[in-house]
Amino acid sequence: MQAVEVAVAVIKKKPPHSALHALTFAALALPGIMAAPVFADNDNVDFQYGHYQEGKRNLFSVKNDKNPIEVESLFGKATFSLTDRVNFTTHYSQDTWSGATPISTAPLVAQSNRAYLADTASGQTITVGASPYLNTQLLVTKKFVPLQQNDVGKVLGKAPQLVHILSMASPETRKQGDFNLGYEWDEAAIDIGGGLSLENDYESRFGNVMSRWDFNQKRTTVNLGASYTNSDTSAILDHDASPYITKDYFATQIIQSGAMKILQGNRQDWSTTVSLTQIINKYSLFETSLGYTQSTGYLENPYKVMTIMFVDPEQTAKRLTGNLHAFLEQRPEQRNQFSMGGKFVQHIDFAEAAVHLEYRFFQDDWGIAAHTFGAEWVQPLTSTWVITPKIRYYSQDAADFYQPYLLSKQAYSKTQYDPTTGKFSLIPYDPSKLPNNFSSDQRLSAYGAISGGLSLSKRFSKAISLEAGIEYYQHAGSLKIGGGGEGHYSDFDSFMANAALKVNLANLDSRAFNLHPEHHPHHHQAHHHAHAPAGVMFDHLLTDAGSWMIGYRFMHDEQGGAMLQGTHTSSEQTIVKTGCGTGSEGCRLTPTFMDMTMHMVDIMYAPLPGLTLMLMPQFMDMAMNLRNLTDAPPVPVGGHVHSGTGHATGGIGDTGMYALIKAIDLTHHHLHVGLGLSAPTGDVDIQLRRAHQQDEGYIHYGMQLGSGTWDFKPSLTYTGQHEQWSWGAQFSSTQRLEEKGSTGYALGDLWQTTAWGSYQLSPSWSSSIRGVHTNQQAITGQFTALPGVVNGVLLDDVNQRSGPMDFAKNYGGRFWDLGFGVNYTVTDGDFTGNTLGVEWLQPLSTDVNGVQLDRQGALSATWGLAF
Amino acid sequence: MLNHSPFITVINIIRNTTGYFLFFSSLLLSGCASVSPWQRGILAKPEMQLSTQPVQALFYEHAYGSREAASGSNAGSGGGCGCY
Repeated sequence: MQAVEVAVAVIKKKPPHSALHALTFAALALPGIMAAPVFADNDNVDFQYGHYQEGKRNLFSVKNDKNPIEVESLFGKATFSLTDRVNFTTHYSQDTWSGATPISTAPLVAQSNRAYLADTASGQTITVGASPYLNTQLLVTKKFVPLQQNDVGKVLGKAPQLVHILSMASPETRKQGDFNLGYEWDEAAIDIGGGLSLENDYESRFGNVMSRWDFNQKRTTVNLGASYTNSDTSAILDHDASPYITKDYFATQIIQSGAMKILQGNRQDWSTTVSLTQIINKYSLFETSLGYTQSTGYLENPYKVMTIMFVDPEQTAKRLTGNLHAFLEQRPEQRNQFSMGGKFVQHIDFAEAAVHLEYRFFQDDWGIAAHTFGAEWVQPLTSTWVITPKIRYYSQDAADFYQPYLLSKQAYSKTQYDPTTGKFSLIPYDPSKLPNNFSSDQRLSAYGAISGGLSLSKRFSKAISLEAGIEYYQHAGSLKIGGGGEGHYSDFDSFMANAALKVNLANLDSRAFNLHPEHHPHHHQAHHHAHAPAGVMFDHLLTDAGSWMIGYRFMHDEQGGAMLQGTHTSSEQTIVKTGCGTGSEGCRLTPTFMDMTMHMVDIMYAPLPGLTLMLMPQFMDMAMNLRNLTDAPPVPVGGHVHSGTGHATGGIGDTGMYALIKAIDLTHHHLHVGLGLSAPTGDVDIQLRRAHQQDEGYIHYGMQLGSGTWDFKPSLTYTGQHEQWSWGAQFSSTQRLEEKGSTGYALGDLWQTTAWGSYQLSPSWSSSIRGVHTNQQAITGQFTALPGVVNGVLLDDVNQRSGPMDFAKNYGGRFWDLGFGVNYTVTDGDFTGNTLGVEWLQPLSTDVNGVQLDRQGALSATWGLAF
Repeated sequence: MLNHSPFITVINIIRNTTGYFLFFSSLLLSGCASVSPWQRGILAKPEMQLSTQPVQALFYEHAYGSREAASGSNAGSGGGCGCY
């Protein structure tokens, strides 16, 4: 109390502007304003979308037709104070990536990226793209410099130029969930956490502990932390490339599973950090930190290979022949990493801004030393807008064992005649003549990178703010400090963009849920009872003009089990004969499961008392697997040959915009109309990767992320309540406003009718039961013909027709579901107004169009908060 | 050059960075005037926090970590393989 009184006295003496006034109090209220990020000052919920996009790599001799690496990221975070001293934070993140990335490096003259040619109907041969060739031959000088030859083999001169060998990665999704639990004392805090990161070929489990100590009236803060990660790799080696890759060194780690070779490995990472934060004066502070990480085990990237040029020194010709072979990269089994950094923050009085300067030094025992410099200028423009230009520079040395490609002065294999037995035998290369460790991974090369960006943030109220940022990044060997970096063949650029929505729960005025009996006694009562089951959208309007609601909606839908034809289980022969198009040879493949997960952010605003506007961006991901049908016809030329690893896609889905309009509002009965538009922001042109020497066209309709068309989404909702009971009914529809989307098809129109009843078990808890009937038409149209190359022949259309999922007629149907739900509303305390809902939809009856997988059920979960 | 002993690496780091430590130590000893809690109004401003946009920073750190040797060593916070 003493401090607060003094603060008031000081402020009275020399009145600062009101914002500073408020902030001073805020500072006093905070447990430690120098807290490390792991210690949340306030309860908040954040959502973020991020996009990473690389530029195309230069292949010099051939056109690069492959889309570069692209990553779509979704991030959610929630921090809640459980008591005055205990807080809980949970994160969820997922990334989906796809595109072409370097797998190795070779001399350009070895033509490792070859144009793949195709014969057209008119008899012409055209170049359609580039394919990786890992094992090739070239001529070198006696000093092993590659030589350029013309078409007839005449040597033109030395050609030391290098090039990356590119390979496509199929879309793949990583998901991570983790939590932290923190406890605060007056001058210290401890935080423990753990989590799991899952992807098809990599699984990580991790735990961490962090502690904070404040000294000198919190002028000095020390953070100490430790963490542990245990990760398993099980990488499916590329089916097309694997036969051309030498894997001897890892023979004991490779298992055969069906047609697949899987490389297994385990790694462990131990890490410790210590940091010190110090307030220098009223206008500046700094932080300095030290970190050490020890990594052991399988530290390789299983998809990177080293190109080794074998040159038999016994050759007598004037020019020697080099044979290129690809080897899985080999890294040391241990890595010790040290880092130290400093950060300085200074207030700039004349601009009312802050400048942030940062430097970090990194050194490991692989020989990599790296420097990172960063600067940011955080400029508040008005009381709600902040603009932050920033610049970053990074430079690193190469690892000791990094080489773009290796030279080995021996034959990869040679035949030898044994005069005593009179037989020829094959002598393989001597592994002891190769170095123990080698890698051509670009991340271990010498280079520099410069990036610059801008971020903007806008505070809409004390509680809600939006952030958006972009950054452009350039990687180049010539940007390394002191020069001497990798050649320009390895240069690339990328851009990153993000958008985040941040909600500070502590500052929300949750008036819409608080008791205001003098204003809206019935509405308030109605609100408590009227939360529909979690799977129902558009169930209520906001009561007061000018009020907001923010929500999050999760939906997970599973298909699996038997294949159905109409309402009955379909036999294998039926699928083969009727699942695919008439005139085709029959189905060869059928899905085994298909999962869809949706994350939606739900933003509602009431400009007028009877009108609520909604914006619903969504992020979705899908996974499915296929199996071969018994008695299936043989694989035709160009047919999808499934490796059994499944497909995954993910990214932004369609974006919904809705208006809810009040029609009837009586004490116990309410009726409102919803009018909505869904914008086709989800991708509908995701393709399967080229495999088995063939292009495979668009991925199945159900794996695309959007509808492809603008859709009209009307709804009519009735809700009622009396004492502990509430009930409702809704009719909704999705009408496609276009005949077809950009790739030639439109999803079927949809009608849904639902009715529910709910009982209030306590002021907080209610349970619900619901019936749903859905009728969806089949897809109209079909994928636009996509030309591609199959075994060297250019075909007009390479889209797959190998299973029911490839045919428009096998989508939609008539479905009955029964839903069981629970809702929870926080009615007192700090979290008043938060609502949570969970509902499971159990399929009762399924009548599919054509032949489709059975349904397993759907889980919906929602969180909402009005203010 | 292969396989530096970690011990030698530590010695080298300490040798290379002694100046850096002395600089900050001297700041610690001299420049840090006593700033009372009620004088920290400016320090409490959002733009003066060590990390002004922590959520955004996570995204960018993850992107750097998948392409740079020195950035990915944040063991204990996940992040996956980044094998692309």
